[in-house]
Amino acid sequence: MTARSPISISNLLPYLPVILLFAAAAPLGLSCGVLWALGAFGLAVVFLVTIRRLQSRLEEQAKSGWLLDEGLRQTQKLAAIGQLSAGVAHEINNPLAIIRQEAQWMQTLLQTDHFRGVEEVKELYDSLREIIQQVDRCKEITHNLLDFARKRQPVIQGVAVNKLIEDMAALVAKEARQKGIKIILRLAPDLPQVYADAPQLRQVILNLLNNATYAVQRNGEVTATTRLAGKDSLEIIVSDTGPGIPPEDLPRIFDPFFTTKPPGQGTGLGLSICHGIIEKLGGRITVASQVGQGTAFTIRLPLKPREGVGGGRGQG
Amino acid sequence: MDNFKVMVVDDELDFLETIIKRLKARKIEVTGAESGQKALELLAEQDYDVMVLDVKMPGMDGIETLREVKKRKPLTEVIMLTGHASVESGIQGMQLGAFDYVMKPVALDELLEKMRQAYERKLIQEGKV
Ligand SMILES: Nc1ncnc2c1ncn2[C@@H]1O[C@H](COP(=O)(O)OP(=O)(O)OP(=O)(O)O)[C@@H](O)[C@H]1O
Ligand SMILES: [Mg+2]
Repeated sequence: MTARSPISISNLLPYLPVILLFAAAAPLGLSCGVLWALGAFGLAVVFLVTIRRLQSRLEEQAKSGWLLDEGLRQTQKLAAIGQLSAGVAHEINNPLAIIRQEAQWMQTLLQTDHFRGVEEVKELYDSLREIIQQVDRCKEITHNLLDFARKRQPVIQGVAVNKLIEDMAALVAKEARQKGIKIILRLAPDLPQVYADAPQLRQVILNLLNNATYAVQRNGEVTATTRLAGKDSLEIIVSDTGPGIPPEDLPRIFDPFFTTKPPGQGTGLGLSICHGIIEKLGGRITVASQVGQGTAFTIRLPLKPREGVGGGRGQG
Repeated sequence: MDNFKVMVVDDELDFLETIIKRLKARKIEVTGAESGQKALELLAEQDYDVMVLDVKMPGMDGIETLREVKKRKPLTEVIMLTGHASVESGIQGMQLGAFDYVMKPVALDELLEKMRQAYERKLIQEGKV
């Protein structure tokens, strides 16, 4: 809210009834009690007027600026968390590499003649293998984190969005079919090509399709829709007949590390990566969900990104 | 003109020989490697524009190879080749910076189109467009 100077005519305006009341009451010689009653009434009026003004001002702000602030807040939050986690991931990578190396060296030692015939060797060897496997899992996570934080500048070239979606759907189709999930494509014919980063867009679509099939679990539908939105944007919608997202989770799903998957199964980075990619391309990703009915993610992308995004333009 | 240099990496030698023949027939400059290890050795000797990389290989698999390629020659664009598409490896591959996925059996025209787009991306990144 803008700061206001404490005294001005308009500020005094609501107090006018009180001032007038006092001014009128004094010459009439009204008793102190009546004077106070009138004063209190006047103050109450002032109070109410002020509250009403404040309220309508807030409503106005909510209508115009709030959504934008929310988007900005999310972007800033993601950037901050990204930087922090990249720092941590980087620091953890080195000790991880050493642990892995040492474990491998111990495996090599166990194979020497010295340990031949020792009963526990196989068990030791298996333990070390497990350690190496778990280190690799940690490495996977730190890699994802670093990837998430890296400011990958999009490389802009002409992309046929429908074809891209067909390809990614084909990648998901087999596993989906095994679970009785139908992948439906509703792709607008004659969709113009969009200037975007093709592999990044593939990553986004794949993530959304994967989330959707995971949510449906068994026997349901996942639908990908494309359509022109206005003259200079297009929309990609990935919707599912899954369980939906509870309203209290909805504001958090784009946060890094937010996941409802069992421990060890999801990093909760999928959607925050998608969010980052789409924002960089000058687009927006939003979600609508109804518990018990399903979820729909909508991406809105400009056909051409604003100036200054990415390197060059493909010849298409 | 398609004047880019391609490496195809696949442990299935029948497939490898056939696809190299077909690509050569389309005047593509192409080299084959039968393992991830071999691919990295070749890559150390010279640069390739586009790599077509099988996901499932014994020893160093496609994902592992992709990670190394992107570490050593990040500008090389990699198209992953997959027999039984697995979502898991798909997501991993895209995350690691693969350009695209192609499914076996490969439609040659489609593969060529994807290679052209991958090469275009490489040129843009090198600032040559
Ligand atoms: N289509 C959907 N239906 C219901 N919930 C969803 C859907 N997509 C995402 N979510 C919710 O949002 C959370 C975050 O999704 P995100 O993709 O970021 O991470 P994840 O899928 O949990 O883990 P990861 O992507 O690393 O495997 C999910 O755990 C889930 O609770
Ligand atoms: Mg996910």
